[in-house]
Amino acid sequence: MTTSTLEAHPLGDSAVTIRFGTERSPALLARIHSAAALLAAANVDALDDIVPTYLSLTVFYDCLRRGYKDMSAEIVGVCESASSTPVTGTTGREHVIPARYDGVDLYAVAELTRLSVDEVINRHTARIYRVDILGFVPGFAYLSELDEALVLPRREEPRARVSAGSIAIAGVQTAVYPLATPGGWHIIGTTDTVMFDPNRAEPALLRAGDTVRFERAK
Amino acid sequence: MDSFALAAANALVGNALNAAVLEWALGGGTLRFDSECTVALAGARASGTLGGAAVAPLTTLRAAKGDELTVDHLDSGRFLYIALSGGIDVPIVLHSRSTYLPGRFGGLDGRMLRHGDNLRLGEAAGTAPPPGFHVPADLLPAYATGVVHISPGPQSDLFADDAWRTILEEFRVSSASDRTGYRLEGPALETSIPALPSDAGCPGAIQIPGDGKPIALMADAPTVGGYPKMAVVSEADLPILAQRQPGETVRFELISIEQSQRAARKRASDLHTIRHLAESSLRRA
Repeated sequence: MTTSTLEAHPLGDSAVTIRFGTERSPALLARIHSAAALLAAANVDALDDIVPTYLSLTVFYDCLRRGYKDMSAEIVGVCESASSTPVTGTTGREHVIPARYDGVDLYAVAELTRLSVDEVINRHTARIYRVDILGFVPGFAYLSELDEALVLPRREEPRARVSAGSIAIAGVQTAVYPLATPGGWHIIGTTDTVMFDPNRAEPALLRAGDTVRFERAK
Repeated sequence: MDSFALAAANALVGNALNAAVLEWALGGGTLRFDSECTVALAGARASGTLGGAAVAPLTTLRAAKGDELTVDHLDSGRFLYIALSGGIDVPIVLHSRSTYLPGRFGGLDGRMLRHGDNLRLGEAAGTAPPPGFHVPADLLPAYATGVVHISPGPQSDLFADDAWRTILEEFRVSSASDRTGYRLEGPALETSIPALPSDAGCPGAIQIPGDGKPIALMADAPTVGGYPKMAVVSEADLPILAQRQPGETVRFELISIEQSQRAARKRASDLHTIRHLAESSLRRA
């Protein structure tokens, strides 16, 4: 992939989103994580936060000190030297999350995917998922890659409230809702594992690069 | 939700602009002061009394020991801010004193206040302006207009002209709206955008789900989400949107990111002006 594909877009007054590509892939995600590491080390003036995601990276900054054009030009400059070589070896930690497959959308998912409920569960527990990114709410980890038979678009109308501990799927991803929040994913199960605790030394259970497996609870 | 009201109320009592204040939505209630205190109300307009006298908005007030501040109801707006000299002394969690209800942390045990709670205040800096000092009306956001400026968001290029015309029509704030987001009722936007991998969002981002009904993300916005973000509310105008009650109208006006950032700088300089006026009235007193 050439560096000319980098595209800057404002995300309001205090953030700029740099789009690295239009198709998600492990190589693109590696490049975005590499760019995030370069930015973190680059001492960019007025930079507040860096949020790496699947196709892009967003930098939050102090717009009282720097304007959009100036800021985005410097960020793009740093991002251009990011490498797309995936990190080799497993540096992440391995987690097993006990899951009860009792989610409100489990039967709907079985119907939409034309699989039996057992088959949905077997396919969800069979995979070892990697933590790609963190975001949405504190401790929410986007895990991939889901069995392709389970891939469904997000619900058209998001739910106003999804309970903490809900295990859900959407697109090629699966996740556990750490808190009760609105949500647009299909809920297939629940877990008692605490995904986020502000009083722990490291509040979020999962880090990017960790692996996760779901185990069917009796 | 209304960062301008937070900062203005703090300036009125001589606090740092980001000191912890009370955010008050819905209904009435009473605060009793166990010690002398400087108080100010900003944001939503409230009917109420302090020590028996009607409270004036955006004005420095003085509470004596034993006084009661009673809020009868909110007349307009949605979130009232009550600043107390010294600020509310709650622990700092994840770099903030604010309450995050979905996560049940921050503030006072991560929950809403209840009848009978005691709030401790920090050390007052002794820089409160004299009672009667008030914020000049021309330094306030144009709350009453319901006009909110937006700039194009990260997925703005995925929306056709039709959708851009529709977003500038009139919307109403839905009753399904809270600190996380305001759903907007009105014409549905034409959208045929394929599912996107999640990317970063922010308070003020206007996302368009598959049903074409816009959702404006608010203070407790998700940090990352998958619905396309068509536009983002100008930070200077986010207080205007925050203060719209369910059923009230909102009309968006499109501006460039440069114009939006200029408005943000103007709002910040207006707050400095308020602070400066407060300090010079302290010197004169």
